[in-house]
Amino acid sequence: MHAFSKKVTMAVAVALPLTLALGACSAGGGGGGGGAGGDENTLTAWAWDPTFNINALEEAEKVYQEDHPDFELEIVETPWEDLEPKLTTLAQSQQFGELPDIFLMQNNAFQKNGVNYPDLFSEIDTDAVDFSQFPEAVTAYSTVDGVNYGVPFDNGTAIQALRTDVLEEAGYTIDDFTDITWDQFITQAEDVLAKTGMPLLSGQAGAADTVMMILQSAGASLFDDEGNPTIDDNPALDEAIDIYTRLVDSGVFVEVNSWDEYLGTFVNGSVAGTINGIWIVGSIQGAEDQAGKWAATNLPRAEGIDGATQFSANGGSSWVVSSNANVDLATDFLATTFAGSTELYDTILPTSGAVANWIPAGGSSVYAEPNEFFGGQPIFADVVRFGAEVPSNNTGAYYYEGRDAVSAAITQIIGGADLKTALGEAQANVEFAME
Amino acid sequence: MPAALLILVMSFIPMAQAFILSLQTGRGANFTFAEPLWSNYTRLFEDEIFKLTLQNTFIYLLIQVPIMLIVALVLASVLNSKNLKFKSFWRTAIFLPCAVSLVAYSLVFRTIFANDGFVNDLLLGLSLIDAPINWLGDPTTARFVIILGLLWRWTGYNMVFYLAALQNIDHSTIEAAKVDGANAFKTFWFVTVPQLKPMILLTAIMSTNGTLQLFDESWALTRGGPAYQTMSMSHYLFEVSFLKNPNFGYASALSYVILILVAILAFIQLKVGDKRD
Repeated sequence: MHAFSKKVTMAVAVALPLTLALGACSAGGGGGGGGAGGDENTLTAWAWDPTFNINALEEAEKVYQEDHPDFELEIVETPWEDLEPKLTTLAQSQQFGELPDIFLMQNNAFQKNGVNYPDLFSEIDTDAVDFSQFPEAVTAYSTVDGVNYGVPFDNGTAIQALRTDVLEEAGYTIDDFTDITWDQFITQAEDVLAKTGMPLLSGQAGAADTVMMILQSAGASLFDDEGNPTIDDNPALDEAIDIYTRLVDSGVFVEVNSWDEYLGTFVNGSVAGTINGIWIVGSIQGAEDQAGKWAATNLPRAEGIDGATQFSANGGSSWVVSSNANVDLATDFLATTFAGSTELYDTILPTSGAVANWIPAGGSSVYAEPNEFFGGQPIFADVVRFGAEVPSNNTGAYYYEGRDAVSAAITQIIGGADLKTALGEAQANVEFAME
Repeated sequence: MPAALLILVMSFIPMAQAFILSLQTGRGANFTFAEPLWSNYTRLFEDEIFKLTLQNTFIYLLIQVPIMLIVALVLASVLNSKNLKFKSFWRTAIFLPCAVSLVAYSLVFRTIFANDGFVNDLLLGLSLIDAPINWLGDPTTARFVIILGLLWRWTGYNMVFYLAALQNIDHSTIEAAKVDGANAFKTFWFVTVPQLKPMILLTAIMSTNGTLQLFDESWALTRGGPAYQTMSMSHYLFEVSFLKNPNFGYASALSYVILILVAILAFIQLKVGDKRD
């Protein structure tokens, strides 16, 4: 008997840390700023990047203080990897009192959180914020069931950025890569590779970013209008994966394993270009020895897909007024700054490289200024112009499930698996997750 | 008593709540009891990704734990030898890895095993390979790197347990074996190891438990990739809870399966290992 009870004690002792770990998952959270609790001139906000969106908030605070001298903004730096679990935890435990007034949300995660936890959000008053001044493709991310829940912040409009010195060595100019198809791109990139030894693109192996950008450039996605996954019967996806496979097989697209390695490929000059959201410019400009040797243009178009354009997007984020907010003040703050102040966008463009989604900002002279790093090209004005033409697509609440399943399928396809089988599996996995 | 109370509140009550949660389903925070009650558990058997993570975790367990414990045992007995110089230096050096921050060591491992990293440079320099190996991009080599990381980090930790146990072994038993004409290996195997048995059992259970709950390496080294081939069960549990559409009922069921697996394996090890009573 004694021996038995000892074994039980032992087993329990062994099992305990596990439950503690799970307990920690469901508890925790909290901390940070208590939203509407403060005085009526103070707002709290969660954002994650001190050089980027936090910087933008600080500048917005200054802009708003011009007319509201008593106004104060308390910013709590919260990395996105922490912010989302925090939101999940608060919503799951119904502790909405712990929410800040304003928080920033990744556009790709917007539908998921909006559908699962509508109680986290306050509707944005369309009388206060004129959503027609934002590209439709961008407001679509933060619209759930026809209601706007977010004020778009940074621009995820995709650019094709290339090293002009490398192109020149191979006998090309940036114009040869403008308004082209992917077929033309691959032919020319192979030529550049043969003549200079430099691939033009790189990316993380197993990341579906490039494929997702090709899809969006034709307004296609992994889901139909009802939100059902259309992975195994999706000609646009088949074509996008085919393009990606050809890019990798021909050697013009180098696959690496981590984000740092990806940035390293063009910063160290082993790869002569990249295709990504405009925010990648911050990293490109990190290589000061390459100043003046870059140019940016629109994306190749996927001719095999109906409705293909030269424009797409990757990433971007939007401001949310939480359900715990001082709604009037928070809405007014966002409406007068991120949805109403060219002054703000003119300030944050040079300091943090945050490109506006707010269309009127693109007309400002700051945007039209030549960028020396890009050989005097006014890239930000170009990007705002591109942004207005990005086709809208349906990310759906299950965007991450879809994207990860397709990433896994791409890995298998690159490794030699059959396209139909791999995508069939991906479809099954997403359907399973949605049950 | 206060400790017991704390354990009750902090551990057993959440445990019970998690069990109830594992019987529920629902979107967001609106839960209702599942129909049938155990549907979250039956769902696990149809989840291809879960099966894959289960398989991955057991590969780690079956390869890493035995190697680690044997190496730790050998290192411990070498370090315990009376003739060794700079003993405390060696001990510290071998124990140090487990004092290193997980994130820091993962970053170092990722850099070492990058396409243009140290290992590839070394192998290329020695002409052992013609082209860089994509260590973290291929399922087999990525698993190998994770196992290597685990070995590097935890061998020293287990060695310390053995060292402590070795100090408690009466030296006269070893002397006696030597007098009887046993060689070094025989002495080690027939005299030292049996006396270390309780400690071996403890480390085996701890390592099994730790490996079944493996999260950090899977998360920090490979993010579970490529294509879920290196993802551990706990990593999948985290994904289901926080990265994908939150499904806490299902996640709780998953955590209970891990708990049951740990309990079963611990029980088997106790049965096999502990024959004293």
